[in-house]
Amino acid sequence: MSVHSETPTPSVAHHSIELVEAECTSCMVCARVCPTWCIDLSSHPEPDASQPAGARVRTVNILDEFILDWSLCMFCGQCVDECPFHALVWSDRPVAAQRSRAGLVSGREDLRKRPHT
Amino acid sequence: MTDTLRHVEPANWTSAVAVALADGFRHFDFLTAVDEAGRAGGFSVHARLVNADDPHLPAVRLSTEIPREPAELDSISFLIAGASWCERETTDFFGIAFRGGSDRHLLVPRTHGTFPLRKEEVLGARVVAHWPGAKEPGERAAGARRRLAPPGVPDPATWGDRDPALPPPTADDIAASTAPGRSRSRRPR
Repeated sequence: MSVHSETPTPSVAHHSIELVEAECTSCMVCARVCPTWCIDLSSHPEPDASQPAGARVRTVNILDEFILDWSLCMFCGQCVDECPFHALVWSDRPVAAQRSRAGLVSGREDLRKRPHT
Repeated sequence: MTDTLRHVEPANWTSAVAVALADGFRHFDFLTAVDEAGRAGGFSVHARLVNADDPHLPAVRLSTEIPREPAELDSISFLIAGASWCERETTDFFGIAFRGGSDRHLLVPRTHGTFPLRKEEVLGARVVAHWPGAKEPGERAAGARRRLAPPGVPDPATWGDRDPALPPPTADDIAASTAPGRSRSRRPR
């Protein structure tokens, strides 16, 4: 018998996942890596307002909808781990119980990261 | 609280459980398996036992590896009666036989015919279902050309549209072709 080194304990409870909208670039990585396909997001391009006048016009993708279906989410954390911009974070805030399965589909307003209480 | 991991050979599985019980880890938490296709191959079987006298002590997590064929391991139900439920569930989902244990089906009917949690079990409905990840950044709806394979859908050459002259795909083939694409994350781990 051998005793392996212990795996580290996560420091934050995994009650749900929240979205830090300011960091999201609509890159689609979370929606693509989710094993249960529970994330659906859409975006559209807009001219980048931060470019100086006279510079070549660049576009940025602006997030429209960000939908997470909690009835499919299995809290694996792949989306949190793979987001290149750390826009998805674990949260202590649990997913509220709902009267219908449709109620478990959260939009960006529901997913918005709340200040730590 | 972290677990103490004890990895053993299959021949020592029941004695390892007996030792853990004798050490005071008498609260049986779970027994389950992981399909290691595409990685080590075969299956790993895991059992977790919590200390009954002091539950705050780190629990013991026993693990062992068994081959895919034959997928067998000794039953621990003679040591822990409640483990029989978990063993039957593991048999239903992975097709692992527990020698000396019960072979009654628990959750998957005998008529189902396959083992749902084995990696060669393909979710055929996903091949035609709408994948939210098919959109490109900046799109509101997916364009006609799908550029990336969704997780869980094997590429047609492996499963859906396989050359009939080839032998059936192995679990390793399917595991390799259903893995999702990854991005590079700069988060320190």
